[in-house]
Amino acid sequence: MQTRNVIRYLNRIDRRVLYTLLIIAITIPFFFTIQIRVPISRQTEQLYKVVEALPQNSFVLFGADWSASTRGENRAQSKALLIHLMRKKIHFIILCFDPQAKTLMQEMVTGMQKEYGYTDGVDWANFGYRTDQVNFLKGFGPDIPTTLSMDINGKRVQDLPVMRGIHTAHDITMLINVSGSTTTETYIDYLQGSYNLKMVAAVTSVMIPEMINRLDSGQLVGMMPGLQGAIEYEQKLGYIGKASAASVSASVAHLLIIALILLGNIYTLIEKRMSSSVRGRN
Amino acid sequence: MTEFSPWLAEHLKVMSIWLGTFCTLGLFSILYRENKLYRFFEHLFLGISMGYLMGNVWTDTLRPKWWIPLWDKGEWWQAGVLIFGLFYYLIFFKKVSWIARLSIGFILGASSGLAFQGFVNDYWPQIPTSFKPLWPHQAIYDKTGLLVSKALSVPDAINNLIFMTILVCVMSYFFFSIEQNNRVLKRSAQAGRWMMMFTFGAIFGSTMMARIALLIDRLDFLVNDFGSHIGGQGVMFTLLLFLCGAVIFLAQRTDKE
Repeated sequence: MQTRNVIRYLNRIDRRVLYTLLIIAITIPFFFTIQIRVPISRQTEQLYKVVEALPQNSFVLFGADWSASTRGENRAQSKALLIHLMRKKIHFIILCFDPQAKTLMQEMVTGMQKEYGYTDGVDWANFGYRTDQVNFLKGFGPDIPTTLSMDINGKRVQDLPVMRGIHTAHDITMLINVSGSTTTETYIDYLQGSYNLKMVAAVTSVMIPEMINRLDSGQLVGMMPGLQGAIEYEQKLGYIGKASAASVSASVAHLLIIALILLGNIYTLIEKRMSSSVRGRN
Repeated sequence: MTEFSPWLAEHLKVMSIWLGTFCTLGLFSILYRENKLYRFFEHLFLGISMGYLMGNVWTDTLRPKWWIPLWDKGEWWQAGVLIFGLFYYLIFFKKVSWIARLSIGFILGASSGLAFQGFVNDYWPQIPTSFKPLWPHQAIYDKTGLLVSKALSVPDAINNLIFMTILVCVMSYFFFSIEQNNRVLKRSAQAGRWMMMFTFGAIFGSTMMARIALLIDRLDFLVNDFGSHIGGQGVMFTLLLFLCGAVIFLAQRTDKE
């Protein structure tokens, strides 16, 4: 009888109660400064090694294609990669195929540049949002200065010291793409594949199964998989950022979801057994 | 805008945090049920995104790549692009609608060619790397000492065997050239279907992880960023719990009615 009552209660539980439980599970770890040390995945390790091996003053194309909707994963990924690039004094330019990324990246880099002694236009530049990625990349590969023409401050490519000696895609040392959409595939299709560029990607968790193939085939030489990848990368850098701070919340939330799934399945099994025993008696 | 108003420049960050909080809570109100507040913030978000996109298309692409060359540099032939683009709208006029086919045909042709290049660059490199060695061996060098094949350990060979089995099984599922009456083909196609189910499960799991990461980011904003403006994390956490309690109470009352 008691089991039946528990099952009846579980059956009637309001979905908003589950939302509240999830909110509590995520929020409570914010009050503590606990961090979980995670094992570094092969993909993240590869990515770290590739960036670490870049010589000083290399030129990196940083494709930032994320917006507020995937900020939870892509912001921490972008910041971790930027820290690594700036520590190694690597020059980079930002190119966005999402309009929000232009502003989000500008805010992020301007907030960091003083700490690492970077200057806008000299060590890095933001070329903002560009429409139609396919056609843009077709023009970008053979003639970078003409296709970019000017940065978001209105300065011409010819007047930017960071762009000195950069003419075609062959002059790019590495391509980094932080993405929450299909732009990584388009970069592979129209830039990496055509110019045999060294390319790495930081993608959202949803995109991991699709991107594993590209990593296996060597089209990508490293990958940062979702928030988990950002946590691992921050750990490699010895830096406590947003991802590391979220590690406990993520673990507790995942445990709660697993527990709820198990509970739901147990409930279904018990209910099935009870209804079959009632049918047997009849 | 902040250049004209020092007050705005000073308070912009605080204002954006308050606005962001109202927008987040407004969108979270969908967790209670469909309501007008949620609709308002949804439309607000869509409108702002679209306006922001259009503004950026002008400032970052059209202005530097088309407007400036056309007006400031006198490249008058760039006006042809506008005319060619406007041909699209002639589809609404029966007598001259054929002209629209010029633009549509050009775009379709160019896109098809580009899609072929994309396909080749994307999938072709994946084909040779799918042929993996299955027998463990030492590194193999040719006569000049050049590495032909890397050493393959026993665990790697087992990994490759699993990969090849899954690849063959999944491909046999999509083999429609003959009817799948053959016992071996039937079994491998069935196994292929199971493997795909595992993959879809993994994708769904990853999607859940992604969504949780987004929720963590929003709650971090509410509790840590906004919380610090209203007396600390504890105050915001209590406020959130109160809101959740109110939602549960309202939902149960509505259900009873």
